[in-house]
Amino acid sequence: MRSRYPKPGSALEYYLWLFVRLSAILMLLVGAFGIAYANLNGRTQMDASAQYRWSFFPIYWHVQNTDIPDVFPNWSNAFWRVYAMILVVIAAIHGFNGLRIIVEDYVQHSIRLLFAKGLVFVLFLFVVGAATVIIFELF
Amino acid sequence: MLRERRVGLLQGLSYRGDLSMLAWVLHRVTGLGILILVGVHVIAAFHLHSIGGDVSAAITAWYESKPVQVFVYFCVLYHALNGLRVVIEDLFPPLLRYRRELLWLQWLVFLPVFGLPAFFMIADIVRGTV
Repeated sequence: MRSRYPKPGSALEYYLWLFVRLSAILMLLVGAFGIAYANLNGRTQMDASAQYRWSFFPIYWHVQNTDIPDVFPNWSNAFWRVYAMILVVIAAIHGFNGLRIIVEDYVQHSIRLLFAKGLVFVLFLFVVGAATVIIFELF
Repeated sequence: MLRERRVGLLQGLSYRGDLSMLAWVLHRVTGLGILILVGVHVIAAFHLHSIGGDVSAAITAWYESKPVQVFVYFCVLYHALNGLRVVIEDLFPPLLRYRRELLWLQWLVFLPVFGLPAFFMIADIVRGTV
């Protein structure tokens, strides 16, 4: 369980450790409210994938299959786009930080570790960039 | 134990590792599962909207299929519950004395909450009404 505790003397590790906990609580709350909201509002096709989409973030292409009223004025505005973007960035930092910790556990050689961590960072930038393009419809 | 590769997975789980080690292994596996599936979802959606074509449509059909959804549900629910337990233990360290009980409680919550929807989803897969 070493990876659950920060290495002493590293402020960045401590803040990332704290961030993982805080973002975990935030995402649990977001997911719980999303599922409750989905099951109060959604009307059709409330299958598992619709509930996943609602519980992560309810932007219009995530909710339109469930036949809720007024998808376009209510679910396609700037509020839900910014909300989605914030959530994607928080989730991506949480997830790729976890991947970095796994990589640090299994890659011993220092040059390979540097390369692997660089690859993790590039993947992080790519996924966040792709998400930005989708959320703000920049294509 | 597992990380330092002195013992195998089953050996570790059956000796001192037991529930704690199982939680640690499953937390990593489910975290990686979420990261891969959500990453693939974002990149496939990006590819579908920017270029289009058969590849991204096939990837989208794959992650929207029922077996993958059962796996996603397993990953998200396990990672959420185990993460909640870890956060609670970190906030209230005296609770670490009752760690085994917390781990059993976690499985007690996880099994019905995962099992019931998963049963119906797997029944759909078996019946072929996906």
